[in-house]
Amino acid sequence: MNDSTIALNSPSALWAGLSRVPGVAWILGFLVIGFAFATGDFLSGPNLLNIGLQSVILLMLALPMTLIIMTEGVDISMGALLTLASVVLAWVLAHDGSLMLALAASLAIGLVFGLANGMLVAWLKMPPFVVTLGTMGMAEGLALLFTDGQSIVVANDTLAAVYGGSLLGIPQTLLIGAIAYVFTHWLLYHTRFGTYIFALGGNPDALSLAGIRTNAYLIAVYAFGGLMTGLAALILTSRMSSGHPTAAIGMEFDAIAAVVVGGTSFEHGNGWLFGTLLGVLAVGALRNGLNLLTVPSSVQVSCIGLLVIVALLIDGFKGKK
Amino acid sequence: MKSTLRIAALAAELKTIGYRLAAALAICVVLTFLSDAFLTTNNLMNVLRQASLLFLLASGLTLVILTAGLDLSVGANIGLSACIAASIMKLTGSALLGAACGVGIGLTIGLANGLLVALMRMPPFIATYGMLWVVHGITYWFMAGTTLYGFPPAFRALGSGYFLGVPIPVYLMFVFLTLGAFFSQRTTYGQEIYAIGANREAARLSGVPIVKRLILVYAVSGAMAGLASLVFLARMNSAEGDIGEAFTLPAIAAALIGGTSLFGGIGTVSGTLVGALILTLVLNGMNLLTIDASWQPLVTGVIVLLAVFFDTLTRRGEEARK
Amino acid sequence: MNTASSTAPLLELRGISKQFPGVKALDDVSFAVYPGEVHMLVGENGAGKSSLMKVLCGAYTADEGQFFYKGEKVVIGSPADARAFGIAVIFQEFSLVPYLSIAQNIFLGREFPGRFPGTIDHTKMHREAKKILALLGLDIPTRTLVHDLGVAQQQMVEIAKALSQNARILVMDEPTAALSDRETERLFAMIRQLQSDGVAIVYISHRMAEVFAMGDRITVLRDGKKVGSLLPGEATPDELVRLMVGRSVDRSYARNFCKTAGELLLEVKGLRSAMGVNGVDLTVRSGEIVGLSGLVGAGRTEVARAIFGADRVTGGEVLLYSKPHQGGPDKAVAAGMALIPESRKAEGLALIRSVCDNLVLPGLPLAFPNRIYKATKARQIANALIERLRISTPSALRPVRLLSGGNQQKVVIGKWLGSESRLFIIDEPTRGIDVGAKAEIFALIDQLVQQGAGVLMISSELSEIVQVCDRTYVMRDGRIAGHLSREQLSEENILKLGVQHE
Repeated sequence: MNDSTIALNSPSALWAGLSRVPGVAWILGFLVIGFAFATGDFLSGPNLLNIGLQSVILLMLALPMTLIIMTEGVDISMGALLTLASVVLAWVLAHDGSLMLALAASLAIGLVFGLANGMLVAWLKMPPFVVTLGTMGMAEGLALLFTDGQSIVVANDTLAAVYGGSLLGIPQTLLIGAIAYVFTHWLLYHTRFGTYIFALGGNPDALSLAGIRTNAYLIAVYAFGGLMTGLAALILTSRMSSGHPTAAIGMEFDAIAAVVVGGTSFEHGNGWLFGTLLGVLAVGALRNGLNLLTVPSSVQVSCIGLLVIVALLIDGFKGKK
Repeated sequence: MKSTLRIAALAAELKTIGYRLAAALAICVVLTFLSDAFLTTNNLMNVLRQASLLFLLASGLTLVILTAGLDLSVGANIGLSACIAASIMKLTGSALLGAACGVGIGLTIGLANGLLVALMRMPPFIATYGMLWVVHGITYWFMAGTTLYGFPPAFRALGSGYFLGVPIPVYLMFVFLTLGAFFSQRTTYGQEIYAIGANREAARLSGVPIVKRLILVYAVSGAMAGLASLVFLARMNSAEGDIGEAFTLPAIAAALIGGTSLFGGIGTVSGTLVGALILTLVLNGMNLLTIDASWQPLVTGVIVLLAVFFDTLTRRGEEARK
Repeated sequence: MNTASSTAPLLELRGISKQFPGVKALDDVSFAVYPGEVHMLVGENGAGKSSLMKVLCGAYTADEGQFFYKGEKVVIGSPADARAFGIAVIFQEFSLVPYLSIAQNIFLGREFPGRFPGTIDHTKMHREAKKILALLGLDIPTRTLVHDLGVAQQQMVEIAKALSQNARILVMDEPTAALSDRETERLFAMIRQLQSDGVAIVYISHRMAEVFAMGDRITVLRDGKKVGSLLPGEATPDELVRLMVGRSVDRSYARNFCKTAGELLLEVKGLRSAMGVNGVDLTVRSGEIVGLSGLVGAGRTEVARAIFGADRVTGGEVLLYSKPHQGGPDKAVAAGMALIPESRKAEGLALIRSVCDNLVLPGLPLAFPNRIYKATKARQIANALIERLRISTPSALRPVRLLSGGNQQKVVIGKWLGSESRLFIIDEPTRGIDVGAKAEIFALIDQLVQQGAGVLMISSELSEIVQVCDRTYVMRDGRIAGHLSREQLSEENILKLGVQHE
């Protein structure tokens, strides 16, 4: 007991203790406190639940985005892909397909784009952000072509039950989010695949010298991103009861922001999955709080940009100390 | 001695853009056969006008890519610059003030990019990608769904006027081609920019003021986007929130088709002009062949991927030879 | 320990050739390793050592030639094949993943399968890793991230990784390059233990002392060919060098040492930097070459970078030409300072640009004061430098990456001759270049000081410091541990100062 009190008495030790707290925790804390004071409803039970529900789709993009960024890559086609998958899913349902068939179509679209991204990055060694910029343009174009620019409205009870339903009193959406997080955590920290993700970003040569087919794993990372995006399309379509050709355009920015705010670096495979969860909550809290303050959605995006800069500043500041 | 050197340099320059020019010509020949409407003065002037707008945007971007950077915010930049310029013009009735504000906004956004990349050392594509959404948000908030239209004729001439039968933007294109080529090839700033792109650390240790040069490059790119926004605004005669969104990918495509390498240190502004021409010809051809406009982003996406693919192949070939 | 002739070779390579576009990296090389021997592989840079090593570990496939393992003909076509024969390689550039733990790194690619397919048995992995570290006398928690380890510890993890593969043939590429004396001793002790266990060791080294101290047999490569295979007793170091170079070279670089140093060019007082420079004082005068010596990791490069403003300076004072100086590299260059960095390719050259572009870069503001760049003038400047430095290139327009190492180094030095610099900080001027080019580089440096420049020279080769410098500072742990005048200068004295522990 004495050790810790003595340590905290000296300013440098206090600083050392505080600097171990990751930047994202600071940000989340400040956001929660700030919005709690600025709005009456922020800390109410229903609103907190709301933040959770709204964050699930973002989480499902941010989880694979973390893995992709850890391989020193990025996927900016995710928002457009989510949109395309959602449109396809809605189209299948609107044409009397079953939910399973619709989900399969959505996952297939996601997988195809993910594989394409991965193969271009891995086999052709093209820079990831340009590759996904190109596929983003393609997904956006396809979504528009598919819908003629109109929404596809779906009146389907099974679909609505995905987002609205609950199991054992817990909202189904939250469960899906939790499963996605636990699964990704398991993947990253308890499987060979996860170990190789650290190596793909940290030292890919070491991996190939160890006799591992690096390209296969790199492609798998992007394919995982595509699949998760396809799954997220189910929740998105269920929430909106429709597929809209610009529904999730730009959502990859929220996802990248959450990952970066969560402390994952663009270099050397330095990633932290729990940080991403906190980052997603921070972005979710920010959006929700700004909503309560009736700030328009477009300005919220600008605020997320500021959030990223603040997060980088905090980490940079800590790094220098 | 001097003149032979000049000729050698000119020959090298021609060699790099020569076969791209040939490709542009080949597309022209094909389109002439496919569509009667292609080889008309009207259509060709139209192509030139569109290409010049694209070039204005892509020329600044080329400088950024030469430093091994990227500016994904140019499209969003056009949107905000155009909207601010439009509203100032509406408010004051002064075309000059509006135009100055448009370029000023573009420059400011560029400066902000430069600060993020150079001072905060953020990866350029992330910094400018974030800037894209930030600027985009501000534009939507500023316009709040409204449309501004009807600008002074003197201003509109900037986009839709003619001089000696040639659209005004085409003159702008050649002015900025000359300026861009001069800046990149005939000033020490240009040399330093190429050096930064080829090896940033070596350039830094050789005394090149990296931070200043990077900020300069991003600022120029921003200001050029501001200028392009004016030409676009003058042509469209109306401004709304989503104006300019569709420009980012084509601008990058133009630079890459023109032979500028994403890995930095290789490329020319004149190449970008040819790139802008090629891309515009392809899109114009699709138009003439009445292919749905929704296909355009898709095609542009594929073209970007192809251009990067060839860039990567060349790069790997060179590394293998070493 | 010369049991070589009595037993059969563990692994034998016959007639190995490997062709790259434009270069024959290996030309009909035969090579055998016997159990329990340390087989030294020596040769100049580019002689084919790394290529041979990569063929050995399956990273390259040989164009021609055969492999025999214990007398039987086998195929080594991939890293997996090589591992199957118990071949493990410790590369000079580490093959470690920074944000994985020590244990994960040791077993990278060979994880113990867990209960479910694709999973890892973490408990077993850490237990096994701990055993291996204990074998090496290392007491670090196996969950520590490699990122948090020092260079020497990383080297040990690298060795642990090789050991964990039950290597019968261990290939090491300059393993002592980053190690302190004490760590080197520990490494050698371990090598001897492995030897007695019958492990064959292929050891690549540039250090003659190591070659003769540790080697049971020495194979010399030159220009991709094997030019000799001998026992340590059969040759002197000088004879070995002659074999490596293919001609008799004068290993001393005679120069007229500075009798009376000129004006004070650089004075550094109490310099500290974010990268671990811990209060350094030194001076450089016109007309002298001042050495900055010490072991790898003592902070020599960091001092150079701090003086030049390339790293953040946190304290102290730099006086340049008697005026206080601070700021980044651009300020340093403007004030007349030149830094020739340690890594030519990463920090010295824009490889894709031409010789001319590289040569004129630092002098741009001086040559074109009004900022208008004239290609013809730039080429005149470059051609004059090419002639003066005798850089061998067909044209000033040739990309630097196509030049040889020695010529590239001349470009790195030459680009400062067009600027107004009188103070040169030169970090490892002869790294990775052949003996002939070394002499030329030193002649060039000598020429600079004759003309009134001052040089601060960092070198890991003690013999270079002793032969070339007028005086030297010796560093230890980010500080100056001592100063040696011309009369006191000897390898022994430098080492004494560099390794001393109070």
